[in-house]
Amino acid sequence: MVSEKKETGGSVLFKVMQQHGVEHVFGYPGGAIMPIYDALYDSNVQHFLCRHEQGAAFSAVGYARASGKVGVCLATSGPGATNLITGLADALADSIPVVAITGQVPMVAMGSDAFQEVDIFGLSLACTKHSFQVRDVNDLAETLHQAFAIALEGRQGPVLVDIPKDIQTAEVEYAVELASNLVKQKSASSANVDAALTLLSQAKSPVLYVGGGVGMAGAVPELREFMSTTKIPSVATLKGLGAVDPDDEFYLGMLGMHGTKAANIAVQQSDLLIAVGARFDDRVTGKLAEFAPNAKVIHLEIDQAEISKRRFADAPILGDLKTNLPALTMSLDINSWQKHCSAMKHDFAWDYNHPGETIFAPAVLKEVSDLMPKSTVVTTDVGQHQMWAAQHMSFNDPSEFLTSGSMGTMGFGVPAAIGAQISRPKDTVIAVSGDGSFMMNVQELSTIKRFQLPVKIVLIDNEKLGMVRQWQDLFFDGRLSETDLADNPDFVMLANAFDIKAKQITKKEEVSQAIEEMLAHQGPYLLQVKIDAADNVWPLVPPNTANHQMMENR
Amino acid sequence: MNQHTLRITAHNQPTVLERLLQVTRYRGFSVTGMTMFPSNEANLLDIELSVSSEHSIEHLNHQLSKLFDINDVVIDGKSSQRYSA
Repeated sequence: MVSEKKETGGSVLFKVMQQHGVEHVFGYPGGAIMPIYDALYDSNVQHFLCRHEQGAAFSAVGYARASGKVGVCLATSGPGATNLITGLADALADSIPVVAITGQVPMVAMGSDAFQEVDIFGLSLACTKHSFQVRDVNDLAETLHQAFAIALEGRQGPVLVDIPKDIQTAEVEYAVELASNLVKQKSASSANVDAALTLLSQAKSPVLYVGGGVGMAGAVPELREFMSTTKIPSVATLKGLGAVDPDDEFYLGMLGMHGTKAANIAVQQSDLLIAVGARFDDRVTGKLAEFAPNAKVIHLEIDQAEISKRRFADAPILGDLKTNLPALTMSLDINSWQKHCSAMKHDFAWDYNHPGETIFAPAVLKEVSDLMPKSTVVTTDVGQHQMWAAQHMSFNDPSEFLTSGSMGTMGFGVPAAIGAQISRPKDTVIAVSGDGSFMMNVQELSTIKRFQLPVKIVLIDNEKLGMVRQWQDLFFDGRLSETDLADNPDFVMLANAFDIKAKQITKKEEVSQAIEEMLAHQGPYLLQVKIDAADNVWPLVPPNTANHQMMENR
Repeated sequence: MNQHTLRITAHNQPTVLERLLQVTRYRGFSVTGMTMFPSNEANLLDIELSVSSEHSIEHLNHQLSKLFDINDVVIDGKSSQRYSA
């Protein structure tokens, strides 16, 4: 039975959201979105007020990544809308399903340089998967249904819907109906399975190269099934971490610029790469012409445009990983290669030896990882602490490690943790941050306070923009330009100002007890970990260098 | 430089031309010619886009084909490969 009654554009928005299972949204009100906020007042959708629209966008990203659902954020016209842009760019680059709703000035004022008017529709072109501007309230429901469908279809991504204020107030006959089908499905499939099976059966030193697409496709079980049959040595990208069982005997860890020595050497020596939901990013390949020089490539992908974009695929397999991974599952005769990879994994294991009293961040993050409960979600900001977290923490699912991979957005960690905590209220959520990144969305501590979210923050503090400082030391003759942050605020006092319990530690002997205290605390907690500003992230593959020619601290 | 012509069918949406040109520029192609006229079918556009680039035209074809307002992209068979002096 179809019910029809008069609704406003604003109330239609929330009715469509509820049809798509949206329970939580993140946003910030303002003039041109007031009718939507008025409709929110009568809606069952729960709104989380952030303290900056960028925080709302990253919370929507964190929510989506931790839950597998679409993240939703709302902002007003003009500066509200432009403040979403960085979050949308981040979501596009990491293929995260987000729907952003922006208010717009009334249609009669559009194009007149009105107060708080910006062409967000035009601005969105380069940072969304698709975007809409609604110009007739009769099109609103259909447009919103399409926005949710497009965000989730194929390679996922952000969709923006710009809604002029008079559309929000206009009355419309609203019929509850099932979400419409997309105009067209953009994801195609074509598989050259026979060619891939031949390559697999002939390979003597194959490596499975696992990317973020595995988690996005919900294909972690299929990947692990493939691995348990093939016993193939594997490596993961930053966004692929968690897809492989961290205890897998032949899992060599992350590859690329800050990858493990075992992972990078194995890939360079391989005769076959099976790339699964990965795209040969420059941070993964190092010098492209010398990446895995003797390897043929089987590329399993959902996005046709990624196949042979940076590296030729001998056997491209386009389509859903959940279908295509099982089609390739076979037992392999690679005994001596497995032994070689195991030996490298053992020989090049992490060394936590760090003389002196000062705290060693990799050891702290390893201990947090060992002590944190199952299903903990870790978010990071961007820089040295991010790479240390990727190297030294272990995750059982890609939804447990949320990091700004492709865009590398500082300020991601705290708002993403807020979104993750709201989507997974029973799980522990830890934001690993650095003293540079933390300050970029520090206002979101107020969101933590407002909703009493028990987010834990591990703030790795070297009073520097550490990664840039490391590069200045290594590649710019030690000319330390604008990377000193010795005048940071008192972070413990800052956290306390938001009713967040906080503690600073400076010595190795304080680490274990501080981590236990943080994890045992019921509410939000900030642990400030002071480290030596000279500590670097190792290994490091310098720019335009082959991955086996890494710099090491040995 | 390679010179190519693409024949594109698109939905006549307000931003379809901006989107088409934005992706073309971002992916490293210069527009050397463009014609556009309403198709015989309702609300569709027929676009002929000539581009030059050092990149493979397949690369642009795949990126344009992903756009939701673009229905179909055909690489003109008469495209010639030339090298600039």
